[in-house]
Amino acid sequence: MIDEEALLAALRMAAGHDPVPRQVTASARHAYTLRTPGAVTAPRVPIPRTHKHPPHRNSPPRPGPEREPDPASRPRLLRFAAAGLAVDVEITVSDGLLDLAGRLLPNPGPGSRIDIRTPHLTQSRDISPTGHFAATGLPPGWFTVVCHRTGQPPVTTSWTLIRS
Amino acid sequence: MPDTTAPAPLLRAAAEGDRGAWDRLVETYSPMMWACARAYGLASGDADDAVQAAWLRLLEHITAIHTPEALGRWLLTTTRHEALHIARGNSRVLPAPEPPPPPRPGDDTETADPLAIVLDAERRARVWHAVARLHEPCRSLLRLVATDPDAGTHQIALRLGMPRGSVGPTRSRCLRHLSRLIAAEDPP
Repeated sequence: MIDEEALLAALRMAAGHDPVPRQVTASARHAYTLRTPGAVTAPRVPIPRTHKHPPHRNSPPRPGPEREPDPASRPRLLRFAAAGLAVDVEITVSDGLLDLAGRLLPNPGPGSRIDIRTPHLTQSRDISPTGHFAATGLPPGWFTVVCHRTGQPPVTTSWTLIRS
Repeated sequence: MPDTTAPAPLLRAAAEGDRGAWDRLVETYSPMMWACARAYGLASGDADDAVQAAWLRLLEHITAIHTPEALGRWLLTTTRHEALHIARGNSRVLPAPEPPPPPRPGDDTETADPLAIVLDAERRARVWHAVARLHEPCRSLLRLVATDPDAGTHQIALRLGMPRGSVGPTRSRCLRHLSRLIAAEDPP
């Protein structure tokens, strides 16, 4: 059985009619600025069906008129885990922007903080005594959460793409 | 920055903080990654996401690539995983699939490694030249899908005067013919 996609990719490269767009390589170059040296990457992991404690928001929702919830804007709960730390992130799309509400399990304790990063901005947040954090009004696209813990390497969630 | 285009020293240098080495990797592999993503029928925006996903996965695993010499395959395989995910589901959340396993010794034959044809410029050129030796409608069909990646099934059917429903099967048949032609010419 042949690999049609590989053959097609080779054909198109040789034909030279579909070069990689400049912004694609620019984004790839820029990605290097997003690395966190020494960090442990936390991959996305399944959430047990018995999970009953989604993260609560410790900041109020953005003001706006009440409306019927759009199925696309239903909160999505993702879990990432590594190095003894689980990071739960609930994402809500609202007016084309993303609201993130998260929780660290276990709470890494005093002196810890998190950075919510997109390719073009970083929002630092303190962690509440119950391990919660939140950020609102983020642009759709790639994001990661970096947890800085005292005396331990940072944990960074695997980059995840959220479309609006 | 290492004075080379070999992936292993560039990868090591990039892992140690050499941005120039990373840029050279991007320059070398992005065109192949783009072509692989587009071969899954992705529009530009989706292909952009698949390629960016693969670079971000590399960033996450930059110190854990088992065989740096096979970085090209790793990047193409990762791009294909991401592209396939987008093509199948177009999910609103693009999860991080497991990175591909490292290639095994002996995986450098075309059967074991279909990506070799994408990674090697000479082989790519041979594939393109071989299209000229195909019979119709394969010659026209493959030239069209190669030179106009955004042409949809309807447009291809109109331009080649064939029923819309036969475009996909004919394309598959033509790619099989092309593959056999190349295999017959390739040195063992």
